[in-house]
Amino acid sequence: MKQKSISIMTIVVLFLAGIFMPVILKQYHLNMLTEIVIFSLYAVSYNLLLGYAGLLSFGHAAFFGLGAFVTAVAIIHIPGISLWNVILLGFASTVFAGLILGGLLLRHKGSYFALLTLAFNALFYAVATKWHSVTGGDDGLSITRPDLNLGFTTLPLSGLTSFYYLTLAIMGVAIVFCWYFTHTAMGKTVVLMRENEDRMKFLGYNTNISRLILFTFTGAVAGLAGVFYTFHFQFVSISAVSVDMTTAVLLMVFVGGTKTFWGPILGVFVYVIFQNYLSNITDRWPLFMGLIFVLMVLYVPGGLSGIIMDLWQRFFGKKDNNGGESAAAEEATP
Amino acid sequence: MSDIPVFFLHGLAYAGLLFLVSAGLTLIFGMMNVLNFAHAAMYMVGAYLSYTIIMQLTGQFWMALLICPIILFIIGALVERFLLRRVHAQGHLGELLLTFGLAYIITELVKWYWGNYPLAVNVTGFLSGTISIFGIVYPIYRIFIFFSAVLVGAVMALILYKTRLGIILRASVNDSEMTNTLGVNVPLVFMGVFAFGTALSGFAGVIAGPLLSTFPGMAQEILIDAFVVIVVGGFGSLGGAIVAALLIGQLQSFGVLLIPKLSMALVYLLMAIVLVIKPSGLFGEES
Repeated sequence: MKQKSISIMTIVVLFLAGIFMPVILKQYHLNMLTEIVIFSLYAVSYNLLLGYAGLLSFGHAAFFGLGAFVTAVAIIHIPGISLWNVILLGFASTVFAGLILGGLLLRHKGSYFALLTLAFNALFYAVATKWHSVTGGDDGLSITRPDLNLGFTTLPLSGLTSFYYLTLAIMGVAIVFCWYFTHTAMGKTVVLMRENEDRMKFLGYNTNISRLILFTFTGAVAGLAGVFYTFHFQFVSISAVSVDMTTAVLLMVFVGGTKTFWGPILGVFVYVIFQNYLSNITDRWPLFMGLIFVLMVLYVPGGLSGIIMDLWQRFFGKKDNNGGESAAAEEATP
Repeated sequence: MSDIPVFFLHGLAYAGLLFLVSAGLTLIFGMMNVLNFAHAAMYMVGAYLSYTIIMQLTGQFWMALLICPIILFIIGALVERFLLRRVHAQGHLGELLLTFGLAYIITELVKWYWGNYPLAVNVTGFLSGTISIFGIVYPIYRIFIFFSAVLVGAVMALILYKTRLGIILRASVNDSEMTNTLGVNVPLVFMGVFAFGTALSGFAGVIAGPLLSTFPGMAQEILIDAFVVIVVGGFGSLGGAIVAALLIGQLQSFGVLLIPKLSMALVYLLMAIVLVIKPSGLFGEES
């Protein structure tokens, strides 16, 4: 498959480039790159919902923030907890939350679903703000990164470079796994459900279960990104679980484009760099964010990856996307 | 215990405001199937405009109540005609993201023009006085809020179900192509609905000013509450919005009295319970 090899190549090239980055970049930019890697996983998980399944959720930050807060709370209250157990705990709690929320909310679609997820995100935010004894409320929680225990040896993670490599490795594996997920039967089912749910039901698929699995999976992946968010900043505040955090990922994914797997990663690069640059010169960042939203909806609904794919098609005459048509065609032919 | 009637009246006043905000939202949602994220931002514009009109220009509360809805009606019509209609073909996602972006732009512009701090708005004339009901001295203004909500609800119900305009509206929702064929300018009808809904949000904004004062976070605060009203009442149902607004108004009011720490969570708890028992909301039709 041509399209598969391009995706693998892109990921491998990005990964290799990532390995050499600490040699080239200064501390400040390496910091930014670590943030980009973490948000890339967050954005990829969101795109599985939005781009692949066609579910517009305004509650993704609930999972991201849950992972982030569980991490901080675990490190503070369980002395000597290992890094792996923290990750496991963060992952498990988001799976649990995903199953419950998914069971409640997935009965609705479209605008209803968007509205409900927003309300539940607000609920998480309210809990994080009010439950001061556990979450620290407005003050947030400060932690120190635990060391990495590899069984035979222990690596300190206090330095940025070593933490960057760990982040790159784990986020990279998770992103590759997400990509693999889209090529499994389960991942294809999700795309086909978006295109024609009734037909999938007639074919004997249980669409509700499939959607719940996807919702839980994307929530858990976002939670994993949240865990590393706390590791990275060694601090977590209520902004991690706020609606603004959902908006941020929505903008990243939308700017990058939802039609390709790698589009959101591109969106994260643009978003983080653009935001860093803009917040240096103006404090009216939300205004620009709103303008980007409106202009993109009006003129570039396919996002940056949409533009790139159009150019690619113009020059090389081949279409490379994960969109419904190609996937649906594959499935429908036999 | 003598506090209970007072808190009940507080709840009624807040319910009135909630209904005014969610009525426009649910109207636009029920008629056009557009979830308008910019609604609360428009409400904020209404509130800040009323500050300028009352405190700086005329000194008359009534003038704000008259002018703000008209200005927001025009803004709403322009937004529908030049922005919303163009992305209609992209489906829900495009419309949602557009109104979402608009909400950010409008909120930021308001903060830019009026400043990033609260502004107090005072009511004028007899509304600023108090009244004695069953021995309780209570501000007339809060009573006025409740009755203006009743009035707006009654007028909306009358228009929707008793007039020719209401028949055209409901027909356009039911089968817009057929209605169009019968000689009704359906796009104009939808533009009118959106503009009217936006005007309602402006009206609510003017009402909210003296009650809650105008502050930069007012849009986000009311938006979530209004969304909860719509979810609990049932999507697009006017009657549901009335009942849900009354419920949540009382819940907020007594929640503050009884368990102040959890008053915020109570509202969400109500929403979660309704969702488990009846996912389409109290008065919603099964989808």
